[in-house]
Amino acid sequence: MMLTREQISGGLKRARYVTNERVETAIFLALALEKPLLIEGPAGAGKTEVAKVLAEILHTELIRLQCYEGLDEARALYEWNYQKQLLRMQAGEQQGLRWEELSEHIFSRDYLLERPLLKAITAPSRVVLLIDEIDKADEEFEAFLLELLSDFQISVPELGTLKAHERPAVILTSNRARELSEALRRRCLHLFIDFPGTEQERKIIELKVPELDAKLAAEAARFVSAIRKLGLRKPPSIAETLDWARALVRLGVRELDTDAVRTALGVLLKHEDDRAKVESKASALAPRTR
Amino acid sequence: MAALRDQLVSFIAALRAAGVRISVAESIDAMNAVAAVGLERARMHEALAAALIKDEADRATFDESFNRFFAAPRANRGEHPDQRGEQVSAAAGRGRPGENPSPRDDALASTRDEKSLSLPPEAKPAKKTSAARRQDTEKGRDEEESKNARRHSDRIRGRRDNGEPETREESPTPGIDATRVARIRAIERTPFDKFSDLDYDEARDALAPLIRRFRIRLGRRLRLARTGRIDFRRTIRAALQRGGALIDLNFRARRPRHVDLVILADISGSVRYAAQLMLELMAGARGYFRRVSSFVYVDHLAEADFEDGHLVMTPALDLYARSDFGRVLGELCERRIGLLTRGTIVVIMGDGRNNRLPARADLLREIVRACRAVVWLNPEDPARWGTGDSAIKQYAREVNAIVPSRNLRELQVALAAIAWRQG
Repeated sequence: MMLTREQISGGLKRARYVTNERVETAIFLALALEKPLLIEGPAGAGKTEVAKVLAEILHTELIRLQCYEGLDEARALYEWNYQKQLLRMQAGEQQGLRWEELSEHIFSRDYLLERPLLKAITAPSRVVLLIDEIDKADEEFEAFLLELLSDFQISVPELGTLKAHERPAVILTSNRARELSEALRRRCLHLFIDFPGTEQERKIIELKVPELDAKLAAEAARFVSAIRKLGLRKPPSIAETLDWARALVRLGVRELDTDAVRTALGVLLKHEDDRAKVESKASALAPRTR
Repeated sequence: MAALRDQLVSFIAALRAAGVRISVAESIDAMNAVAAVGLERARMHEALAAALIKDEADRATFDESFNRFFAAPRANRGEHPDQRGEQVSAAAGRGRPGENPSPRDDALASTRDEKSLSLPPEAKPAKKTSAARRQDTEKGRDEEESKNARRHSDRIRGRRDNGEPETREESPTPGIDATRVARIRAIERTPFDKFSDLDYDEARDALAPLIRRFRIRLGRRLRLARTGRIDFRRTIRAALQRGGALIDLNFRARRPRHVDLVILADISGSVRYAAQLMLELMAGARGYFRRVSSFVYVDHLAEADFEDGHLVMTPALDLYARSDFGRVLGELCERRIGLLTRGTIVVIMGDGRNNRLPARADLLREIVRACRAVVWLNPEDPARWGTGDSAIKQYAREVNAIVPSRNLRELQVALAAIAWRQG
């Protein structure tokens, strides 16, 4: 199924994902050109969310591979089910099967434990494959991904090459903990998602926390984007902004003055230094000081 | 469509000339991307960006080139700002794909006209290499070219002046994180000898993520080095539990070799930025060595330590004294001989400019003999090694390796290589 550009922006709206031209075009291209999409950006700007929303738009399954240091093929691709194979061998011996007959059995798909990558390749219909935080995986793993990303096929020595029936839509995300290789970048389309602007963030708050007064939502958005510019150790993510907005609702805050800012700051900032920095400037930042 | 293809090809060539790395596969992607989204300017802009720009740091270059090559048709010639708005929207509406084919061609043609009007093919400034330009001996041609370039830049400037709100809407200015990442990358590539105090402060700010990345890099490498050959006995024993099938392979753990690090850093003159950044980078990776002893020197040796991110040295050194590495080597051999063992790697950071004082390369030879390795990091450009009062050539003969470390990036690579030597 080919989606048009308009269907995608409609789908994003329905999935309540507030976005811009850049994101929509990149998603559309990733689907149209059947290329993996590499999304970079600060933590908490909504990179992973893109994959989830995309799965929703395509009405399909999301297969997620969370990368971490030391992730290897056995965890990402497939593993033989040793225990089951052993049992089969013992049972086979009792039946008096010869090795040739036996090995045909134990190296078949039934004894394969499918990990996310293989699952995405062998899925009968198009799925969304999310390779999350690829920068956390080792460089070797990145190199291993190249075959998968360019040809959408995987070689299993005992079974031969498995090719995707239906190319999955692949989304990779990276927080830039390390530089990704040129080879990987070359094979992907690229999208940089930054923190939203004030206006966009206001829309997000209004959409996700409708209980919050509209005026207050605008002020909250302005406040958050102001403190992101302070050069904090960990600038607040969108999720934290939303938590904060919910906290404001719960606390019954009517006006975002200095005191209101101070009481719920822990929801927004997770480092003591950041907190001190913002508190010292709270009076200047809070939209209303009286 | 051939005209558009040519235009895209020369656009890509211009990007390459501006230092963006674009492979052939990526340029094909770009063509397909444009074919998929159509010619509406904002969409084409984002589509090309997704296909060609794989690093947010290159985005500014891209946006600039894009505006230069694919100017909104006719709009930029308008002297009346109030007329421009509707012209732009009309032009944008015409390019929308799927309405009917003829206006699309029309829009394309006007883009092409626009370009050929302002940029004659033999005078495209972006496409010309400096070598080719040098070959142009005819003065008149040079003049014409520079005139063209000027007219061209005027055009861009003019559009910027009266088109401010519109351009902002079309290409959102890179946000906070994008600019931060771009800044870190820029500072990583700034040569140390071009550093100012301001750059140094910026580099210090950028250092925190770099240190973390550096640590991850070291840790991973050392962890990988830890698994050695197969441990036969343990493998067989494990196999017995499973009826003799060799299922789990057990590996002999490689004993980590304990390495002491001795760092000598020149903090005089122009190398001081390099030295301080190196000390700080290494301070962050302290956990990966058994012992790290840091020293700084000008004409004497002093112990270096970091307190709250500030360099503290005991005794205090006169930063404006004449560098004398020969004497520093002497002091090291006399007073700190205990540090120099078979398990020690000595890292020296300096330019080896010794003010024509005795180099004492013989002492360095002895240190090399006593230690596991001596590595020299030189923040100077290799072309200048051994010129003037530099004694680096004499030292280079003695040490195990001499590595140019002209900027933060090279420095990190060099330091990581040193740390791996111990694996």
